[in-house]
Formats: sequence, C-alpha cells, structure tokens
Amino acid sequence: MAFPYQCLVARSETSPDSHSWILVGASGSKLVTQSSNGATSVWPQEESNVMDDHNDEQEPPGKRIKLSPPKEQKANFSSLVLSSDGKHLVGVTGEDKCIRVFQVGSGSCLQQLSERCMSRRPSSITLTDDDTTILCADKFGDVYALPLLPSPDEERPATPVVAEPAEEKVEGKEFTPSATVLTVHSGRNRKTLEEQLKKKAKGLLKTKEAITFKHDLLLGHVSMLTDLAYVRMHGRGYIITADRDEHIRISRGPPQAHIIEGFCFGHQEFISRLCLTKSGFLISGGGDAQLRVWDFLKFKLLATFPIRDTALAYLKARPELSPLGEDEANFKVAVSGIWAVRSSSDDVNEVLVACEGIPALFVFNLEPSSSGTCIPLQGNPLDVAFVQLSQGSWTAIVAIDNIHKPCSTTETRDDKDAPRLQHFSRPIPTGSQWHEDTSLREVLGSFAKEGSKLGVEGADAGATETSSPKSAGDKALRDILYNVENLRKRPGAED
Amino acid sequence: MPHAPAKRQKREEYKNSLHTDEQNAALPKKKFYRQRAHANPFSDHSLAYPRSPADMDWATLYPAYAVEGESQQASEAVEESTPADDEVQRKIKAISKNIEVADIGCGFGGLLFALAPKFPDTLILGMEIRTSVTEYVQEKTRALRAQNASTNGYQNVSCIRANTMKFLPNFFHKSQLSRIFLCFPDPHFKQRKHKARIVSYTLNSEYAYVLRPGGIVYTITDVQDLHEWMKEHFEKHPSFERVEKVFEEGEGEGGAGMDECVRVMRTETEEGKKVERNKGLKFVACFRRVEDPAWP
Ligand SMILES: C[S@@+](CC[C@H](N)C(=O)[O-])C[C@H]1O[C@@H](n2cnc3c(N)ncnc32)[C@H](O)[C@@H]1O
Repeated sequence: MAFPYQCLVARSETSPDSHSWILVGASGSKLVTQSSNGATSVWPQEESNVMDDHNDEQEPPGKRIKLSPPKEQKANFSSLVLSSDGKHLVGVTGEDKCIRVFQVGSGSCLQQLSERCMSRRPSSITLTDDDTTILCADKFGDVYALPLLPSPDEERPATPVVAEPAEEKVEGKEFTPSATVLTVHSGRNRKTLEEQLKKKAKGLLKTKEAITFKHDLLLGHVSMLTDLAYVRMHGRGYIITADRDEHIRISRGPPQAHIIEGFCFGHQEFISRLCLTKSGFLISGGGDAQLRVWDFLKFKLLATFPIRDTALAYLKARPELSPLGEDEANFKVAVSGIWAVRSSSDDVNEVLVACEGIPALFVFNLEPSSSGTCIPLQGNPLDVAFVQLSQGSWTAIVAIDNIHKPCSTTETRDDKDAPRLQHFSRPIPTGSQWHEDTSLREVLGSFAKEGSKLGVEGADAGATETSSPKSAGDKALRDILYNVENLRKRPGAED
Repeated sequence: MPHAPAKRQKREEYKNSLHTDEQNAALPKKKFYRQRAHANPFSDHSLAYPRSPADMDWATLYPAYAVEGESQQASEAVEESTPADDEVQRKIKAISKNIEVADIGCGFGGLLFALAPKFPDTLILGMEIRTSVTEYVQEKTRALRAQNASTNGYQNVSCIRANTMKFLPNFFHKSQLSRIFLCFPDPHFKQRKHKARIVSYTLNSEYAYVLRPGGIVYTITDVQDLHEWMKEHFEKHPSFERVEKVFEEGEGEGGAGMDECVRVMRTETEEGKKVERNKGLKFVACFRRVEDPAWP
C-alpha cells in the first residue's frame, strides 16, 4: 500500500491544436510526475528503476547542480509549487526545513537543481509572478525572498559567524558582552550577562551553522505564519500573509515589502488558508465557522461562506460516517484547503474547500452566491489540482487519504483498496454540479499507484501496516497529513 | 511565579479596599502590583484584544471623551451573522478624538503621568503586557482623575493590557499615531531571544504602519548593546530616518532645542529614575517616519 499524496500540483497548457498538462504529487518523501503524453517518473530515482534519461542536453542554468537522486533523502514534502512557465518545481521538505528546486524536464523527469535549508521550518511558499523569486513564510513568522535559481556570485562566503545565530542578519561582528558595567540590571539580566562573559572566556558560545545562500528578510509577524500569497493587481505586486493570531496582512511586494498597506480584520480563530480567485477576490479560512471573502485592496469584507454549517449538514446526512453524537454544538471545522476552481471562463469565482478529517469537498460560489454544496468523497481530501483535458473542460484531481478512515484523522481503515485519487468534472463550466469523472482514471493509472510504500520505507515516518494504530509511527504520519486543527489556541495558557 | 496564598489574599484585600468610596482618590501602592519581570511575548496569553481598531471600546478608557450618536468608522461591512445592534454598540464606544501617543511597555506609567498634563488635549495610551502592572496604572489613573476632577486632569491618559508585538494593528488605524515611546525595553540578552526584542526590522514595519508620516519613535535604554541594536534596525528600515542630534540632546548646558518629550523621557520613567540613582548611562535615539515612496 502506498502513502497518500499529501500534495498535488498541476499545470495545463493550451495551444490551438493541443492540450498538454503535467501533474506532480508528493507522497511522503517521493515526488511522482505524470504528463499528458503518458510518461510517469518518480523522484528520487530508484536504482532498480532507471528512467529513460534523454534530456541530458538540457543543462539547467543554475550552477549548484546536484544530480538526483542525492544521498538518502527521507524528509517528507509539505508543499509544492510549479512555476508559471512550468519549467521549475519548488518543494519544501519539512523535517530538514529544506527548499528544493527542480527542473521539470521533457518526459516529466525531475532534476533537483538546489536544496537550501532554512533555519526555521517553512510553513508556506509561493513564487512571484515573474517566476524569479521564491517567497518563504516560516513558523517563526518571517518571510524571506530567495532567488529561484541562485546565481553563483550572489552566494555569500561561508565564513563562520561568531555568536550570531543563523537567522540573524547582523553578521561578522566580534562578540562583545551585551551591556556595560555602568548599566542597571535585574538579577536575571545580570546572570545572563555573567554567563555570557564566562562562556566567552571558555570560547563556548556556540552558534548555529550560518546560512550561506542569498535569503532576504522581507517582513515578519510575531506569530506563526500559516499561509502566504503573492498577487499582482493593476500593475502592483502584493504579499498577503496569514497568521495564527487571526491576522491577514497586506504588504507591498518586493522591493517595498517593508510597507504594510493594511489588514483584513474579522477572523476570530486562527487562519490557515488563503486563496485568490482569478478576478482578485481573496478568500480566507481557518478555525472559524465562516470563510471570509475580501476586497483586499480596500481591506473590506464582501461576504462570508458558512463552512461549518455546510460541513455539519453534510455529516448529519451521513450518520454512518460521523462520530458527531451529542456534540453538535461543539462541532468545529479546521479549513485545510481552499482552491479556486479553474475554468475557461473568467467570471467563475468558485472555490472548493476541504476541512480537516471530513471526507468531502464543499463548493462555494461568490457570484451568484451560493450557500454551499458538497462533493462526497471516499476518504478525507488532502489536496486538489486542476488539469485541462480539452478545450473548456477542467478536471479536479483530489488526493484522498487511503490510510485513515473517512472522518477520522487517527483510525486506520480496514479496506486496503481505498482510492488515492478521485476525479471530478462538470458538464458545463458554470452552474452545473460536479460529478465523478472516470475518464482520467486510466491515464493516471500508474500515477495512482506510485509513491512511498508504507511499511517499506513507509512514508519515512515509520508507519507500517502491521503496527498498532497508536504507534509513534502513526503519529508522525498523521502529523504530515493533519496539522491544521493543532493551530487552535488552547486558552488558559501561561499568563 | 505562583504567589503564596497569604500574599495573594493580602493583595486582593488591598485592591478591594481601594474601591471603597472614602479611598477613592488614594494612589495605589506599587508593592501590591509587582510582577515577574519578563513576560513571554510569543505565548498565547489569555489576552483580550479588539478584533479591529473599530471594535475597541475606547469610551470606557476615556469617559470624558465619549461621544454618543457619532459612530466610528466600522472596519468591515456588516455581515449576515452579526446582529444589527453592532452598529449601535460602536456608536456608544466612539470617542471624539483619536489616541495619538502610545507608550509601549509602559511599566508603572511614570512617563504617562508626566506627559498627560503637558499635552492636555492629546490622548495618551500606555500598553503593558503584565496584568498587575497594568492594573496599577489603571488604579493610579482613576485616583489622579478623582484628585483632579475640578480641572478635568488626567482624563487624557489611560492604560490597557496588550501584547503589542502581536496586536498593535488591532488597536490603531494606519497613520493614527504621532508618537510612540519605547522606553527601557527588556534587553533579552540571550541570542536566541533576540526575536523577543520589541524592536526589530520586521516589527518596525508595524510601528511605521500606525505612525503618520512625520511621527516619531522615541527610544531610550541603559543597555548599550540594545541601543546599538535599535539604531541598526531602525536605520536599515526605509520607513525611518534618525532625527537631528539637537532633537535628542539639545545644545549647551540647558539642552536648548531638545524635544520636549525627550526631556520628559530622560527623567520621568521609572527605569530612567533608577538609572539616574545608580549614575548609569542613558542612550537616546529617535526616528522619524518618512513618507512612503511611490509604488515601483
Ligand atoms: C523594563 S520595563 C520599562 C518600563 C517603562 N517603560 C520604564 O521605562 O520605566 C519594560 C516593560 O515592557 C513590558 N513589555 C515587554 N514586552 C511587551 C509586549 N510585547 N507588549 C507590551 N508590553 C511589553 C514589560 O512587561 C515591562 O513592563
């Protein structure tokens, strides 16, 4: 049994006489790629499974080439982004905090061009619209800009930095104690100072390994960043950041990212996901009962979508699934995904929404506004990507959790043949219902099977089919797939 | 730090006694409000904070400026889920003036009570993360207002509990403030705690957001390293420029030309007085908010 796809991204290209697309999925620590011409490839390559390597002539522009596969690489992917020109894929592996850039070769082969390990775990990444810059938001609240393709002369020399942790921008200073003898100190401060002096004498002041690649601090919240977006509107670039303390901040894009334009206030619980529609509406969701729709240029709330009530109604209609019981009043949702529906027409402002541990996608429309419909699924949704199969016809590919029971983020399922992907489309782009569409099933046949094998290198989190549901491996595995509800604040913490 | 039950009880008795009528104008005693020096700005304190500046109940803090029948600008359109009487509530909460001065990490409020009579027509707010320290400043405000009822003194000063490092934009609109004070901030010597400092390149964007162009951030500290740090982080931030030397120091013996607020800040904060007594050094640095450049 393969680990589910925790991330999916796709890109479609249309010319008058052809439609091509590429789909990339992350299954544990592996990337699986499939293109419309039928080729499938897996990264890292397995020795026993040598792929046809006919794109050697395409030397990537970056100099820091590390031929894939690199040494043992076991960290699991937490996000994927495809460049708008389709030539590059950016992936984040969580455990090692690494941003990896891949070249997407012909035949959908991936070649890793660089790996850059940040000092804080990235929580979300995106690319600027010109594909030149990676924006990386981290759990510590900061946003950094990194060139997609590092140029060798921009690399900083790897000089050891004395007494400065890697994330500090102030570098190369000789360590001096933090205060003068003339200053007044609390007992605690004096102690720290004395310790610093002692350690200095012993040469013990240790420092983290300094980051040697170019990474510019653009902005920061004193909170955990959960999502970020870059958008260009009327010729101006914006960075939108969301945090665990209910803030949505609108900043200017580089080179003026230090300027805060405003905030979209209103959420009362953590925000976990931001989504921009084609016409520039911002939709946000998290731990609140509602999704919010914003005119972010005016910081103005336009509408709300009742995600909690829609999810609750769905679960109530399927008592066989839900462990709702008496606890209806305390029912909460944690939004784990919001995806703008791709469509050939410009005036579609529709989103698909997933809530952690609920086996359905919820559909909301801005204009005409709808109160929310459901697409029932055979398992909990993990990610969604859209591909255009023919003119005007987009299919939503949904990654399904084939390990845990529908409606549960902890219990493993009994059926071993649960699907890892489901596909949906609509006969008419606007207004009609989504229905399951099996036309892709055959095309994606091998894609649907590839990925990290459970119990072998088992999502590298160590879960095996035989392990008991409460094992540590299961917990690690669950943490990769389900980490949104964890953002909810537990009141009564330290005062 | 859990207080011994006896101590807690004493504190409570004391605080209750303050609220009996005949005690109404007595100044609170600091010893009943002391609290552990460092609060963690990253943790989820059970803090109350407004959803947006428009949701803040300022009228309770500045009752002399309360306005009825005039509504503050709401931060968001009324949605289906909010009851219609939200509008009414906002009208009651509105005040006739905006706060223009914020003392961030005001401690026991020495600066606030020195500034209030000097700028009687300006609303001044202290913001402090520690609960009992905030309570002390609030009690002192109450007492001073009662003592000065005939002149309406100290109606322009107030204090709230807030973690400004997380929630400053929840309290103030863009360009609302003309002055921000950062007096004797906690130094957070340990390297790994530098992000806990109240001044950093990224936080400075928030100060720039709530300050109007021309507005000033005032900093003072006795820790030279922290002074260098604050200078560096403000100087590299494109929204700020250092003020002229005379603004911070004045000229000659009397310090002619020194900014009035710098003068007060040098002498009136609790920490400043402590440093004075110990004959320590004080480092002052002030930064002016510049206009935002045109979009690229
Ligand atoms: C050393 S005291 C200085 C007090 C006063 N400004 C003075 O000069 O006497 C620093 C104060 O900042 C407060 N503080 C620290 N972090 C804060 C935060 N994030 N928000 C609000 N206050 C904070 C502390 O509780 C403390 O009272």
